[in-house]
Amino acid sequence: MPALSRQGIDKHTIEFNVASSLLSATGLRKSFSNNPVLKDVDLSVAPGEIHALVGENGAGKSTLIKILAGVHKADAGEIKLAGRKLVLKTPQDAIANGIVVIHQELSLAPHLSAEENIFLGHFPRTGFGTLDRTAMRTTTRQLLERLKIEIDPTIPVARLSIAQQQMIEIAKAISFNARLLVLDEPTAVLDSGRVDTLFELIGRLRAEGIGIIFISHHLDEVFRISDRVSVLRDGQLTGVADITSINKDWLISKMIGRKFERHDAQARATGEAAVELMALSAPGAFEDVTFSVAKGEIVALAGLIGAGRSEVGEAIYGLRKPNAGALRIFGKDVRRSNPRYAAAKGVAYVSEDRKALGLLANRPVRENATIAALARFCRLGFVGIAKEKAFVGSSISELDIRLASMEANIATLSGGNQQKVMLARALATKPKILVFDEPTRGVDIGAKREIYRFIEMLASEGVAIVMISSELEEVLRLADQVVVMRQGRVTATLPKSEASEETIMRAASIGA
Amino acid sequence: MANGIASPQLKVHPVVLTIWRQAGVATALVLLVVVASFLSDRFLTVPNLLNVLRQVSIVGILAVGMTFVILTKGIDLSVGSILGVSVVLFAGLLETGSMATAIPLGIAAAMVLGLINGLGVAFAGIPPFIMTLGMLSFARGIAFIYTGGTPIPILDEGFYNLGNGYIVGIPIPTLILFAVLIVSGLVLGKTAFGRSVYAIGSNEDAARLSGVPVKFYTALVYVISGGVAGIAGLVYASQLSVGTPIAGQTYELDAIAAVVVGGTSLFGGRGSVLGTFIGTLIIGVLANILNLMGVDPFVQQLFKGALIVVAVFIMTRSDRSGR
Repeated sequence: MPALSRQGIDKHTIEFNVASSLLSATGLRKSFSNNPVLKDVDLSVAPGEIHALVGENGAGKSTLIKILAGVHKADAGEIKLAGRKLVLKTPQDAIANGIVVIHQELSLAPHLSAEENIFLGHFPRTGFGTLDRTAMRTTTRQLLERLKIEIDPTIPVARLSIAQQQMIEIAKAISFNARLLVLDEPTAVLDSGRVDTLFELIGRLRAEGIGIIFISHHLDEVFRISDRVSVLRDGQLTGVADITSINKDWLISKMIGRKFERHDAQARATGEAAVELMALSAPGAFEDVTFSVAKGEIVALAGLIGAGRSEVGEAIYGLRKPNAGALRIFGKDVRRSNPRYAAAKGVAYVSEDRKALGLLANRPVRENATIAALARFCRLGFVGIAKEKAFVGSSISELDIRLASMEANIATLSGGNQQKVMLARALATKPKILVFDEPTRGVDIGAKREIYRFIEMLASEGVAIVMISSELEEVLRLADQVVVMRQGRVTATLPKSEASEETIMRAASIGA
Repeated sequence: MANGIASPQLKVHPVVLTIWRQAGVATALVLLVVVASFLSDRFLTVPNLLNVLRQVSIVGILAVGMTFVILTKGIDLSVGSILGVSVVLFAGLLETGSMATAIPLGIAAAMVLGLINGLGVAFAGIPPFIMTLGMLSFARGIAFIYTGGTPIPILDEGFYNLGNGYIVGIPIPTLILFAVLIVSGLVLGKTAFGRSVYAIGSNEDAARLSGVPVKFYTALVYVISGGVAGIAGLVYASQLSVGTPIAGQTYELDAIAAVVVGGTSLFGGRGSVLGTFIGTLIIGVLANILNLMGVDPFVQQLFKGALIVVAVFIMTRSDRSGR
C-alpha cells in the first residue's frame, strides 16, 4: 500500500508515492457553461488498490469518472497511468489505455451470449476472417475460470440476473486488459447476497494488481472493501485517507461539511385505517399478505430484493391485479383498480425505477412536477400556467430542490433533486396515501435527510405512508411499523419497539 | 428560489422561450430566404411569397396533424391516403348534395379512419408504423373503390373558392393552414391534453403512472391526424376541382419531412407545431427558389432529399451540444 495518509489530513499534505502509483490525476478542472463542477481535483490509485470515491450526488464524482473514461475532456489537469501522460479524447482512448468504467446502467447487448458480449468489438478471427468461435469459447472459459465466475457463457445475457450481467461486464473489462477499473455504484442494483459475490470478485481483481475505483453511497461497503478513500464535495477534494485511519463520522463530515444528526422520532399518533390488506395475493408476486396502515402512520416494507415488496406497492396503486384476498382503502373494498382509480381514491405512488417509470425525460421540471395533477391547475381543459408555476415554485422551496430554473430539463438535475421532483409530483395530487418505493435510491445524503424530513412531515399531516425500502437505517428511522417480507410472504410484522437490524434481517433472510 | 446556486432569475415569457427553442430552425429559414432573395429578384415579392404560402398549405396542414402523432413517438403513414378518401368523398357528395353535408361528412370519414388507426395502436398494441402502413393501403383502396378508378369532377362554385379564393388578399388555403396551426398550437401548448401528449411521448409508462389516460389520448392523436388530413383534403379537392382517387399519394412523406425538419424529435416528447410550420416553409421556399431559377424538377428532388438529411443532422448536433 503506497501513499498512506493520516486521519483528517488535507490533500495538500499527502505524499504520493509516484513510483508505485498506477493512476495519478492531478489538478483536474471542469466547468459546464461557466459552472465549475470540478475544482482542482487530484486522485491517485496504486496497482492492486481499491480506492473508494464518495460524495453526495452533484459533488463531481460522475464528472471525474467521465473524464477518466474519455467522455468529457478536462479543462485543466493531467492524467498519468503508470507514469505515462494520457490524452483521452474518446471512450475508446480510455479503454485502449486500460481504463474501463462500468456504469450503473450496464451496456451489454441483451440478445447476444455472454461470450459474444465479452468479445464484442474485438472478436477473434480465423484465417478466413470469420468469427473464431472455438477461440472465443476457450478464452472466455479461461477468463471466467480465472475470475471464478460461474456462468454459462453461451446463453443470452438477457436471461442472466443483473448480478450475473454485471460480472460479465467486469469480465469484458478484464478481456480488454483493464489496468484501472472504475465501478460506478455497482452494488446499487444488487441485493446483499450478491454484493458478497461481487466483492469476492473485486478482491480477486485486486490480487491481480488491477487498480479499482469504487463508488458507493453505502458507507458500510466502503469500509468493507476499500483500502483508501477520496471524498468529494462541491467539486473539491475534501479528504483522502487510508480507510483504517478513519471512521464513518469522519467520512460523513467530509461529505456534507456538517455533522449528520440522528434523531429518534417517537411513534406518531395515528388515526383510522387508510389501507388494509387482508390475505392479499397476486400470482407469482406475493401471497397472503396482511397488514394495515393508519392515517399518519409510516409502514415500511422491508426485505431482500425480490421478496415481493414492490409488487405489494404496485397492487395498492392498482398496477397489479390481486387474485385473492381483499384490499381496502378507507374502509372500501377495492376490486378492480388501476392507477387512475387509485389516484382518485387519494393514493399517490413514487416508483423505485425513477428513470423508466418516473421521469418525463427532456421535459422541464415544471411539467414533470404537475403531470399527475394537471386537473388541479386546469380550467376548461386549459392549464393555468400562473397557478402551475406558483405550485412548482413553492414545491421547489419546500423540498429545497436545487436547479437553475423550473424550466430546466429534468435530466440535468442530480438524482436527489430528480427524486424530490418525483415527490413533488406525488404531493401535487394532495394524496391521503403515499406509496413510496425506495425513497432514497441513488440519492445523496443531504437529499436523503430532506426526504426523510418530508416523509415525517407528511405523516404528521395525516398521510398514510407505505414505504418500501432496502435500507435498514431508513426503515428503522422512519417506520412506525415494519412489515418484513421474504419470498412473497410476510415473515414478521414488527412495531417500532421491536424493530431492529437483527429482527428485520432475521425475518428477511431466514424467515423466522 | 430557496438555494444558493440559483442564478439571478430572468422573467422569460413562455412564448419567447418557445421561439428561442425554435431559433435554430428559424435561423435556417431566414438564411434560406436571404440566399433566395439574392438568387432571384422575383423571390421577395408579395405575390410570390403568397404563392409559397398557398403551395405549402396542404402539406403544411397534414404536417400539423403529424406533429401530434410524432410527439407521442408514433408515426402516421396513412395521412396521404386518408386525404385521398376525403377528396373523393367531397367530390362524390357534392355531385348530389351541398357543401353543408359534403364537408362535415368528408372530414368525419377521415376522422373515423384515424380512429381505426388510434384503436389499433392504443388498444390493440399494433406498432404505429405497421398500423398506419396498413391504413395507407386500406384507405387508398376505399378511394379507388368509391370512384371506380375514375376521377369525379367538382362543379360547385363556392367549393372552388375554398382552395382558390382570397380573403383580404390572403389565399384561403393559407388562412385554413393558419387556423389549424393556431388551434393546434393552443391545444398542444395550453391544454392538459397537449401537455399529456408530450408526457406520453417522453415516457409513456411514467405518464400512465401519473394517471394520464394514455390509451385514450394516444387514440385521440390519430383521430386528430385523420381529421386534419380531411381538412387538407378539402383544400386539395377544391384546388384541383376534381376528386381523384390518387390524391395525396406520398404526401405522408412530405408531412413527416416537414415535421422533422421543424425540429420535432422522432423519439417523441419534443417539438412544436411552430417548428413544424417553419419546417414546412423551409421545404416550400427551397422548392420555390429552385422553380424560379428554372432548375430541372428531377434535380429538385436531390435538393429536397439532401435538405431533409442535412437539417436533421444539424439538429441532432445542436441537441447534443445543448446538454
